[in-house]
Amino acid sequence: MKHIEKSFYTVKVLNNIQFSLKAGTVHALMGENGAGKSTLMKILAGVYKSDEGEIYLNGKRVNIDSPKVSQELGIAMIHQELSPIPQMTVAENIYLGREPGSKLFVNYKEMYKKAAQLLESLNVHINPRVKIGTLKVADQQLIEIAKAISINANIIIMDEPTSAISDKEVDNLFRIIQSLKEQGKGIIYISHKIDEIFQIADEITVLRDGTYINSWQAKDIDKSILIKNMVGRELNEVYPKVKVPIGETLLEVHNFSLKNKFHNINFVVKKGEILGFAGLVGAGRTEIMNSLFGLEPLDTGEVKMEGKVITIKKSQDAIKNGIAFVTEDRKNEGLILQMSVGQNITLASMKELQKFLIKTKAERKVIQKQIKALRIKVNHPRQLVSSLSGGNQQKVVLAKWMMKNPRVLILDEPTRGIDVGAKAEVYKLMCAYVEKGNSIIMISSEMPEVMGMADRIIVLSNGCIGGELNREEFDQERIMSYAVSKM
Amino acid sequence: MKVLKKCISMLLITTMMVGLMGCSSNDKRVDNESATEQTATADAGKDTEKKIVLGMTLYSLKNEFTVRLANAATKKAEELGVELKIYDGNYDPSTQINQIETMISDGVDGIILNPQDAEALSVGVDKAVEAGIPVVGVNTRVKSDKLTSYVGSQDVYAGELETQYMVDLIGTKFNAVIIEGPLGQSAQIERREGIQNILDKNPDIKILAEKTANWSRSEAMTIMENWLNAFDNIDAVIAENDEMALGAREAIKAKGLDIPVIGVDGITDALNAVESGDMVASIFQDGAGQGSKAVEVLVKAIKGETVDKEYWIDFEPVTKDNVAEFKLRAQ
Amino acid sequence: MDTIRNTKKINLKQILSQYGTLFGLIAIVIIISIIKPKFLSIDNIMNLLRQTSINGLLAIGMTFVVLTGGIDLSVGSIVGASGMFAALVAKSENNLPWYVAALVGISVGLLLGILNGVIISYLKVPAFIATLGMLSIARGITYMASDARPVPGLSEDFLKIGGGNIGPIPIPVIILVIVLVICYILLYRHRYGRYVFATGGNALAARVSGIKVKKIVCSVYMISGLLAGLAGVILTSRVTSGLAQSGQNYETDAIAAAVIGGNSLAGGRGRLWGTVVGFLIIGVMNNGLDMMAVSSYWQLVIKGSIIIIAVMLDSLNEAKS
Repeated sequence: MKHIEKSFYTVKVLNNIQFSLKAGTVHALMGENGAGKSTLMKILAGVYKSDEGEIYLNGKRVNIDSPKVSQELGIAMIHQELSPIPQMTVAENIYLGREPGSKLFVNYKEMYKKAAQLLESLNVHINPRVKIGTLKVADQQLIEIAKAISINANIIIMDEPTSAISDKEVDNLFRIIQSLKEQGKGIIYISHKIDEIFQIADEITVLRDGTYINSWQAKDIDKSILIKNMVGRELNEVYPKVKVPIGETLLEVHNFSLKNKFHNINFVVKKGEILGFAGLVGAGRTEIMNSLFGLEPLDTGEVKMEGKVITIKKSQDAIKNGIAFVTEDRKNEGLILQMSVGQNITLASMKELQKFLIKTKAERKVIQKQIKALRIKVNHPRQLVSSLSGGNQQKVVLAKWMMKNPRVLILDEPTRGIDVGAKAEVYKLMCAYVEKGNSIIMISSEMPEVMGMADRIIVLSNGCIGGELNREEFDQERIMSYAVSKM
Repeated sequence: MKVLKKCISMLLITTMMVGLMGCSSNDKRVDNESATEQTATADAGKDTEKKIVLGMTLYSLKNEFTVRLANAATKKAEELGVELKIYDGNYDPSTQINQIETMISDGVDGIILNPQDAEALSVGVDKAVEAGIPVVGVNTRVKSDKLTSYVGSQDVYAGELETQYMVDLIGTKFNAVIIEGPLGQSAQIERREGIQNILDKNPDIKILAEKTANWSRSEAMTIMENWLNAFDNIDAVIAENDEMALGAREAIKAKGLDIPVIGVDGITDALNAVESGDMVASIFQDGAGQGSKAVEVLVKAIKGETVDKEYWIDFEPVTKDNVAEFKLRAQ
Repeated sequence: MDTIRNTKKINLKQILSQYGTLFGLIAIVIIISIIKPKFLSIDNIMNLLRQTSINGLLAIGMTFVVLTGGIDLSVGSIVGASGMFAALVAKSENNLPWYVAALVGISVGLLLGILNGVIISYLKVPAFIATLGMLSIARGITYMASDARPVPGLSEDFLKIGGGNIGPIPIPVIILVIVLVICYILLYRHRYGRYVFATGGNALAARVSGIKVKKIVCSVYMISGLLAGLAGVILTSRVTSGLAQSGQNYETDAIAAAVIGGNSLAGGRGRLWGTVVGFLIIGVMNNGLDMMAVSSYWQLVIKGSIIIIAVMLDSLNEAKS
């Protein structure tokens, strides 16, 4: 692949990328969240089309317009998000779209025979007749791999193939990969598990922020060099961090555990502090906050506010105790798109704005205040919130919660998908907020952002706490190594 | 562009509706006008300047019998040179009351009422009479003594006729099931009374089950299917009307059986069934005669002539022997 | 509650899209009055309002339900059940005051509504299925309570509810107006209404914002049931006896009114005055088409077409924004 460029709307996600794969080798593609790895592979798989650039297969130029074309060219992709058809059997899933038989009838006998042979050859002991939905995720992943192999692809892209499987099965997978190499196939391997990479990869390429950094033979580099290249950027963005006196402990979280999501999470939040939560996507940060805010349950865990134990079973409990949550997905979880800007702003505060009937004048005043304070660009508060830009929509959600003056304000990816100008304003608001003695918990996958804004960072790795750093200790490589430490 | 489309659609609806309104009311007016001209020349003494307007509401226009009644009434109205507006009560007493109120506001000269429910519609009669509008009941009773007249057939007699026919056919000792009309409608009450009269005279007839099928062919079919599964000794089916009788017969045929079935009304399908032997007989109800007579009586009353309180039109049994003649009459 | 979509200037397009159905109603009224001037007589207008008040109550209840994205198919049967129980109590021989019978009827409606609400919001049965089931259950209860026979002979006072007037205005119309005012306040001047709109617009976001979504969903079915109970009392009083098949198929007109009024069946979008226009259009059509002696077969076709066209116009409106 040469000179690949790709943009989504106005955001450039891939910038002059190059990537090459030799037959019979495993080439690992590495980078942080949002570096562009999945996007690049999706272009190869025909899911996206690049804006610029060329792809050559065996020296010949190819045009991959659709997943079908990609498949015909001998490229198979095992996606990170599995999507098997749960009610169909293993064999039916493997041969989906390529069922043996005539145009009218499927030859089921043939299909099951072939499936059994295939699984046998891969040393995968799963009955092809069971419904795939009944298998655990790890097994479903193995079936995906079997499917890719059955297509007789020459290039197999594996996107986080070991994210859900145990060590023993990983060994099995590597054995399969080895035999694929011997058959002359090429494998592109995306993973955050650095140790695995060094076990299985022949070549490694690193992408960062949509740009190609470098490629090496695996034997030529080591872990620390890899991490350095993955994160090594000039931190030249200035964050409006204000020195705010950090007070005593406000919130304490003890022993939070939820099966399969997070385990033994302990942390505190101090008054006036911005506590950053870093880690890879899927590490469990949002899940912890969901449980803290009462949207999801907990297996074990205790929360203390100012030393006193509080029970949070639903969102109203959290709100009552002074906790607010600006969720990740503002369109689906933060805003009522059919309502106006003003109504969205006051939605969580209606109890206070009503005695017998809604105090319209008071409501109007409060809305104006918030619009001004957060500099929300809107013509009239009765405008539909869906007509606002992403940045302003985010401000509306912020306004809704800031209005309640929560002592602990949780922000999950607060600047995702908003423009630079709005980002700066959000940062300023955050600083102003903690200046009042409140605290902010900020989940962010943007390393510069979390390092620029937080006083302390807790790094989550695969559902456990990977590490904790104070502002003076902030270091990209350390954060990254903590993030992959528990994988 | 999209807004333009909307405007056009709104315009289209309204024009369509106006067109329809115009069409349907015009038709009647046209017909009546030509009729009026004819009667004007024929009847020099009659005052044809202010045309008499009648309103008629039937409990439903969705079955053959009531349609026959309505058509005959329309024909008679044309003959007499009066305007007749017909309303479909949709099996809903409340709707019929609404329609009567509408007719009153409309300023009709007379109302013909074929009620869904005997009790509920008495309110309607009261309202009309209060407004000085005479009401003639037709085919089904209403619980009111304020009716100017009632034109119908003796439902008790119909019940007796059909049950007696069955006795004459298969003897005085047998098992039967009864399928009834909507509970509370006068036809149901009175026909059941008639059936009971004959049953009382024949104590060896055993009634295995009875249930209402609301005059509906499909409901009767379902009920019969269930009964055929529950009982294996049904000798006869007495249905209070033909639609239900035919439904029952379908269920019987589907099971490969041949149980005698009898009904009331003499609708086309029933006449065919009698001819083919599917129904043993039907008791013909002269719906056309009722409709026609009702209009006649009402017009007389409006013109100030005296009319009787009740006009009875006979029920006539239809059997294989005389079915041909009834088929001719039904044209 | 009118949210402004494009606030640059008030233009014709916008007025038309927001008020289209109102214009339609006015247009229909004008056309009918031209063809049949008697349509506009006080007498007929009062009749029209009285006749439409039952559907009006059901439509108002349905609006609340539809705003949360739900549907209540059981209102017709609830009308029947409430009316029947009210009738049983209102029989003159019982010698009970009219308000006892009325209360019984309304309570039956409320109870059935609560049942609907609990099944839908707490047992998570989809509204379509749950209310479809209730449609049969309530109807069955009605038949059982009356043994399928009419219940006549109701006390004079009770009969005045549906049949009486205060001055020139029929009592059911007064009831309708009172209910309308209360519901307007509830929906627009009380935070309850906000919560209803929020729940319908985005239940998840509403929950995150601290709204007790389950309670809101349950409550709208309670309202629908309560109003259906009230409608049942009025209907029974009007036809002067408890009839087991009362209210059959009434849910269709109620849903039609809500939909014509611009209430999206997906929830979160709509307006109460739209529903008013909706049931007025249906009432005017029923009454007006009757006055013009349009055959009942045509009436069915026209009614169905109007509903389809109204929804079509509304979806164009929605797509635009």
